[in-house]
Amino acid sequence: MKLSIPMPLRLVLLVVGTTAFYMYLGQIVPQKEAHPPPPVLISAEMTTEDLVAVGAELASGKGQCLVGCHTVGQSGPLRYPDLDGIGARAATQIEGLSGLEYLAQSLYEPAAFIVPGFADGMQPIDQPPISLSEDEMKAVIAWLQSLGGTPTVTLATDLGY
Amino acid sequence: MNRNRILFGIGVLAFVSVIVTVRLGGFLVDNEYRQPDRQVAAQEEQGEAELTPRQQGIADEQAADEAEARARPYEEAEYRAVPFVGSRVTVWVLAQLHLLFAAFVLAVPLFAFIIEFVGYVKKEERYNKLAYEFTKLLSVSFSMTATFGAFLTFGLIILYPKFTNYLMHIFSPTFLPYVLLFFLEALFLYSYYYGWGKFGPKMHLFLGFMLNIVGTAIMFIANAWLTFMMSPGTRGADENGDGVPDFVSAVSESGALLSLRDAFFNYTWMPINIHRIIANVAFGGSIAAAYAAFRYLQAKTDEEKAHFDWMGYVGNFVAIIAFLPLPFAGYYLAAEIYAFSQTLGIQMMGGTFSWLFVIQAALIGNLFLGANYYLWLGMGRMEGGVHFQKFIKWLLIAIALCFAVWATPRYAISSVSEIAAMGGSSHPQLSYLGQMSAKNTAVNILILSTYMSFLLYRRTGRQSIHPHRDLLTRAQAIVFSSAAALVIFYGVYGYYVDAATRIRFAIPQVYSVLAALVVITVIDLPLYRNAAQSGETKWGKMPAVSQYALIFIALSFTWLMGLMGYVRSGLRQEWHVYGVILDTSPDAYTPTLGFATQVVSVTVLIFFGLLGVVFWLSSLGGKKDWEPKPVADGGGRLEGGQAA
Repeated sequence: MKLSIPMPLRLVLLVVGTTAFYMYLGQIVPQKEAHPPPPVLISAEMTTEDLVAVGAELASGKGQCLVGCHTVGQSGPLRYPDLDGIGARAATQIEGLSGLEYLAQSLYEPAAFIVPGFADGMQPIDQPPISLSEDEMKAVIAWLQSLGGTPTVTLATDLGY
Repeated sequence: MNRNRILFGIGVLAFVSVIVTVRLGGFLVDNEYRQPDRQVAAQEEQGEAELTPRQQGIADEQAADEAEARARPYEEAEYRAVPFVGSRVTVWVLAQLHLLFAAFVLAVPLFAFIIEFVGYVKKEERYNKLAYEFTKLLSVSFSMTATFGAFLTFGLIILYPKFTNYLMHIFSPTFLPYVLLFFLEALFLYSYYYGWGKFGPKMHLFLGFMLNIVGTAIMFIANAWLTFMMSPGTRGADENGDGVPDFVSAVSESGALLSLRDAFFNYTWMPINIHRIIANVAFGGSIAAAYAAFRYLQAKTDEEKAHFDWMGYVGNFVAIIAFLPLPFAGYYLAAEIYAFSQTLGIQMMGGTFSWLFVIQAALIGNLFLGANYYLWLGMGRMEGGVHFQKFIKWLLIAIALCFAVWATPRYAISSVSEIAAMGGSSHPQLSYLGQMSAKNTAVNILILSTYMSFLLYRRTGRQSIHPHRDLLTRAQAIVFSSAAALVIFYGVYGYYVDAATRIRFAIPQVYSVLAALVVITVIDLPLYRNAAQSGETKWGKMPAVSQYALIFIALSFTWLMGLMGYVRSGLRQEWHVYGVILDTSPDAYTPTLGFATQVVSVTVLIFFGLLGVVFWLSSLGGKKDWEPKPVADGGGRLEGGQAA
């Protein structure tokens, strides 16, 4: 006996089956719930070493430095400059600017100097949507200095901005 | 037991149930505890009201509630919750359903008008009938659009009152024009539909033209509201002279409006307008083709089958022609998102949503496969189609390869041992296919391959009589091959240059394909004008599977729209208005892709359920009028004097 499925049932099966297939695709890719970054507490008594740790946390969280933009210790077709060794080479990037001044300028005025071979694209991270506070900027700079250099920033440091 | 008896039984049961419920309620109220009669009499003498303990309890509760309400200060609610489902999912589903119906209502008049115009120019009545058949779907769909628009508006006001109030503060000057345009839309739509055959052709075409103008204007206004949420600013002058226009925010840091013009004409407004017009036409064409397929499968006569086969073909043709430039419109939109905010762009392509584009690749790959499959089956309805069928396997191989490349992720889903074996989360060889260079190349070759399918279909059963046909055909082949070679060249070269240069390579790839499509079409029109027919086109002779392919294409389009709607809105992450107004509700996070695809799937199922209603209602017009059943009288004669 030949089994014949009525046309309306075929349509239902097609609609439900196709939708279920696409939904299944959505289930097998990596699942990640992205929550807003938790607030980072910076207290007045924090040392430079403390700021480096906080800066590392900010870089991969609220600061979004390492979220698809910069890398640390990678090579190849990169989107933006790799940050490995930036603490050491910051002082030699722009003539007349110290390492600290260069890093501060990179965060407050990223369009002022574009590393050759890369496109302009970074936004000032003290402004929305990232909106790092001045203390948070200092923590990020301390972390950048620690990448191949010696961190010197404290909460009392004047960044000039 | 026949159907009437069952219905009668259900009616009696329902009536009895109501009577029993009312009687039971009355019995319980009448028999609740009352105070003894003497005490009641004493209370009445003293002027006290008779209250049972239950009534007293209710009165006490009401008094307590009122006292609490009076003591509570008025506070404006920021958010309200929906039990079980949540506010976000509620608004998400309502917005998506509204957009799906709106897209359809905006798209159908566009190609109905074009088909009617073609019929007017060619003086062929069949085009007029086809345009009318498409327009039949509009009336009910327009009501659905308005209904879900109202649901969405109330949903936003109730669930997100503070944010909705903020948007009203920004865009209130646009509301009155929007409502007036909506009124005009209804006026033109119904006069266009009900005036079919009642006005002269020029007047009717004018109504169709105005319907499209007004519909597009409505969409442009609504697009300003939603794109403002994503990019609340526009391009300004290049003050620092670095070649990049400065960003001009439409609102202050606290969210106060600085310029309505900048809020309206924001970064992503025009890209979304263009993307939506094209996508709406592609989506509308596919839904109209699905309607034709539905009617084809129901058709009883050869005439009906031929009509709906042709309608399905035209609907699919419209969908695919609009679909081909859609990736370019998507590229323009993505480029503007990057121009507005690199952070937002990177979040889209390289962050939380990067895996979504792998699913998108699978969907678009299925759309290309479905469309090509339908075209290849369509060659069978024409005599002389066998000649071109030998090319199909090569096209299939090209499409399948491009599909595979486009769906290859840069980072593979792997177990710990697999990651250890690969030396990282990316495969040492396959990850090269997951990069932008490979994906841009794949999508451009996919477009060229599908266009080639169209060219083959167009040539099936036809023989050019142009005096320079060999030369022109060779010219087409050279243009096609050059475009493909350029696309592949830039795709491979992209691996040997820096990031900034590689990103720019997408532009010559896109332009070479667009130029090829235009040049080949321009050559093809005179080449096959008045072409000799080598065989007859047998409309209505398509296998049933071709019609299911049309419905599959419509489903995939709908699902794709749902998915891309999610990424466009989800990009803002925890912001209502990106960088300005934070979402502080419990839903202020980006859900997993798995959850998002569940919501999209449910929305698609609801939409198709409602679409079934639209199709059914639209098909009622073609059915015979109801007539009373003839009833035999006692003498074996039918009422009306007919013999039994």
